Amino acid sequence: MGLFDAIDVAGSGLAAERLRMDVTAGNLANAQTTQGADGQPYRRREVVLQEAQAGGQSFGSMLASASASPVNGVQVAGIVEDPAAPRRVYDPGHPDADAQGYVSLPNVNPVTEMVDLIGASRTYEANVTAMQAAKQLFSKTLELLR
Amino acid sequence: MSLFDTTQLSLEAAMRGSSLRQTLLTDNLANVNTPGYQRKDVDFHAELASAMETGSSMESVAFSPSTDASRTVRADGSAIDADQESAELAKNALEYQALVSVAGSRTTIIQTAMGVR
Repeated sequence: MGLFDAIDVAGSGLAAERLRMDVTAGNLANAQTTQGADGQPYRRREVVLQEAQAGGQSFGSMLASASASPVNGVQVAGIVEDPAAPRRVYDPGHPDADAQGYVSLPNVNPVTEMVDLIGASRTYEANVTAMQAAKQLFSKTLELLR
Repeated sequence: MSLFDTTQLSLEAAMRGSSLRQTLLTDNLANVNTPGYQRKDVDFHAELASAMETGSSMESVAFSPSTDASRTVRADGSAIDADQESAELAKNALEYQALVSVAGSRTTIIQTAMGVR
């Protein structure tokens, strides 16, 4: 266990929550996108987090797995698309309307996205607080040397 | 008689335990949105107390973190309550600072006795 483990762990939390905010913001920005990359309506994306695994290729992670530290932080397992069906809205004047006059809009619910955004930003703040606490502890320890 | 008595060594062991606990609580907070994550913690008070009872050396106390698989509070399987973890984090940080202050002033006493300052 190293002196700065707590700061590294909080840092991994910050990175994960920032990505969640980015993806949620992308969902909100694309809430009306009827033509995604594949020509289909945009699909809502979601970040899946997992506990970080020790044993990467870097020196630090090899050292961590050798010292059998149980603390690894968090990492992103992937970004998955929401399989829910697109919203169907009757709008015959829309260029992407089908033969019946219905348009397929993305399966993005702005309210869900706003709640996700608040959750991510609160968790981000919690990680910042944890990082500040760890920093304070270490500087307090260093004061012993004075 | 050695320069550092049992109290000083115990304080240092408690600082090690408290520092480990700080890292574990930070890990819990970082994984608050991880599905299936199980809460980690270390009861270093109990491990120090049992080491004192058996009279084993304070320098060799090894703290072993435990994983709590019994609690599941949310639908996504993560068992972390962010507010609870923040409160524990704040308490543990204060305790660590208290330990450092006491250990520091005890070191100052020894320094005075040695005529360092």
